[in-house]
Amino acid sequence: MSTAPEMDISLEQVRRSFGATRALRGVSLAVGRGEVYGLVGPDGAGKTTAIRLMAGLLRPDEGRVRMLGEDPAHPRTRVREGLGLVPQRNTLYGDLSVDENLHFFARLFGLSREDFTARRERLLDITRLGRFTGRRADALSGGMYKKLALACALLHRPRVLLLDEPTNGVDPVSRRELWELLYTLVHEGMTLVVSTPYMDEAARCHRVGLLYAGELIAEGGPRELARQHGVAASNFEAVFLALVERHTGGRAA
Amino acid sequence: MDSTYAKRTVGRILAMAGKEVLHIRRDVRTLYLALAMPVLLLVLFGFGISFDVDHLDLAVVDQDRTALSRELVRQVTASEEFVLAWEGTSPEEAIRELRRGHAVAVMVLPHGFSEDVARGAGQVQLLMDGADGNTATQALAKAQALVDVAGRRFAGATLPAPPLEVRVRTLFNPNGRSALFLVPGLAAYLLAIVAVLITALTVAREWERGSMEQLFATPVGRLEIVVGKLLPYLGIGLLQVLLVLTVGAWLFDVPVRGSLVALGLGALLFLVGMLGQGLLISVITRNQVVATQVATMSSMLPSMLLSGFIFPIENLPPPLRVISLLIPARHFVTTLRGVLLRGNGLDVLWPQLVALTLFAALMLTLATRRFQRRLD
Ligand SMILES: Nc1ncnc2c1ncn2[C@@H]1O[C@H](COP(=O)(O)OP(=O)(O)OP(=O)(O)O)[C@@H](O)[C@H]1O
Ligand SMILES: [Mg+2]
Repeated sequence: MSTAPEMDISLEQVRRSFGATRALRGVSLAVGRGEVYGLVGPDGAGKTTAIRLMAGLLRPDEGRVRMLGEDPAHPRTRVREGLGLVPQRNTLYGDLSVDENLHFFARLFGLSREDFTARRERLLDITRLGRFTGRRADALSGGMYKKLALACALLHRPRVLLLDEPTNGVDPVSRRELWELLYTLVHEGMTLVVSTPYMDEAARCHRVGLLYAGELIAEGGPRELARQHGVAASNFEAVFLALVERHTGGRAA
Repeated sequence: MDSTYAKRTVGRILAMAGKEVLHIRRDVRTLYLALAMPVLLLVLFGFGISFDVDHLDLAVVDQDRTALSRELVRQVTASEEFVLAWEGTSPEEAIRELRRGHAVAVMVLPHGFSEDVARGAGQVQLLMDGADGNTATQALAKAQALVDVAGRRFAGATLPAPPLEVRVRTLFNPNGRSALFLVPGLAAYLLAIVAVLITALTVAREWERGSMEQLFATPVGRLEIVVGKLLPYLGIGLLQVLLVLTVGAWLFDVPVRGSLVALGLGALLFLVGMLGQGLLISVITRNQVVATQVATMSSMLPSMLLSGFIFPIENLPPPLRVISLLIPARHFVTTLRGVLLRGNGLDVLWPQLVALTLFAALMLTLATRRFQRRLD
């Protein structure tokens, strides 16, 4: 199977185990340019593993991963210049201030001073972190921290943004703001992969892949999937449960 | 290599280094501790835990009572090392003095001593208080040396070379002052611990806190991470060397007689090796607690026991002497002593510098190899 050229990300028959744990058991998916792709699944389904594979932080045991036309795990890849990642864990420097974190990542991405000044201004504005630039990152609230992580990942205008459960621990208002921000960026041409265990968030994606125990058990537009199962798109949870039930033949769920 | 590439690399290294400096500034107490600890220990070791033994109380049993025996007693007690604490003719009484702690050694000149000396068979008996092993050994060595010198004067050069003559013959540390030997050893020891420990900790912290994941998703390369993280600590390490040497010079008159280039080069290479060792440990353990333990053990023990800091290399059993060649602290101590005390330069110390270079290269290669830019 060859990947269509306009695909930014593709996984082909990817398998990845950690010891005896089979985190991904032959997953194939592709994300097109400018698409919002949701990786939806319960805890331990393999979402983080899939995102790490896309970012080149892990290598597949079997299968092929492509990101912007390259192998992202290759040591000399240029992919990272066009990639933004917000990991699931808090990975910023807690003892550094908001501004210091931003400045550090800007330097790693080689931003010029003017570029940084402009981007910083804009990102502080849309994340509403402008008042907290001097605050230590570990003194921020959960939502503000996530926004800062997002700002750090957006400084260099990535072509692809990977978000691993970005709304975990974020209040509903901030959550909506975050999604509005993401849509703005997608309108500007960015590709977005976002993982989430929340079914209501799946409805915000153009397309979703349902991960269950390391397998992609369904894929499609959220509305489309809901219609197939005769439920309202707002009740995406029902879709998921039905799919899991069908997949396991009633053994689990 | 094109220049924009080089410029970006340098930019990222400086970004890493700058961030590390921020961490250090957020935690100034650790920095102060890192700088104050060597000085404090140096002062403690230099003054308190002196290995020097002098003004030892000596009890003399002179049963010969001739001009010769009196001359020997005079010569031994005229030295800085011994003070005449008691004199008599009864060995039993002298030993009682020893037991009471009024003397640490008894020198017995038996009947017929001067006649024996004339025959070339003069014998002096030394009784030591073995409770303090270090003092006893040193007192024994010193007394023997003094007696040897005196004996030679009496009998001309016909006496065989005395076995422990080395102790008095310490040319470069004529007074046997500990500080002179301690400062180089202590500098190496402290630098080894601090350098290995700090790097092991800071790199392991990036793994533990998950920030390594974030770093790996940016264009920063692993060598850039390594170099950037090490640079600030290299600076701190060199500052420590300077501090220890300054305090050594100021308090204990440790001189700098030899090549400063050799000294600087030795310090730099030694530090890079130690930082590399810390890096390797943290890359393998990826855990601060384990890294701390491994780093402390692997830096403290060899640089204390096998570097010549406390136990002279010549006194080590042969197998350990060979192993000590693999310990960078040993080569650094040799370099420091060479430059500070013997006035050596690159012409003499190059083998040490080569050894330090090899160790540093090995550590950095191993560490960068193990340090995969991935999470698995
Ligand atoms: N580094 C690792 N070492 C060992 N096992 C791992 C590792 N990473 C993931 N796993 C295992 O692989 C499986 C999938 O994990 P993954 O983190 O990808 O799931 P997830 O969908 O992100 O779950 P969550 O919603 O809890 O974040 C789990 O069983 C997990 O325990
Ligand atoms: Mg996860």
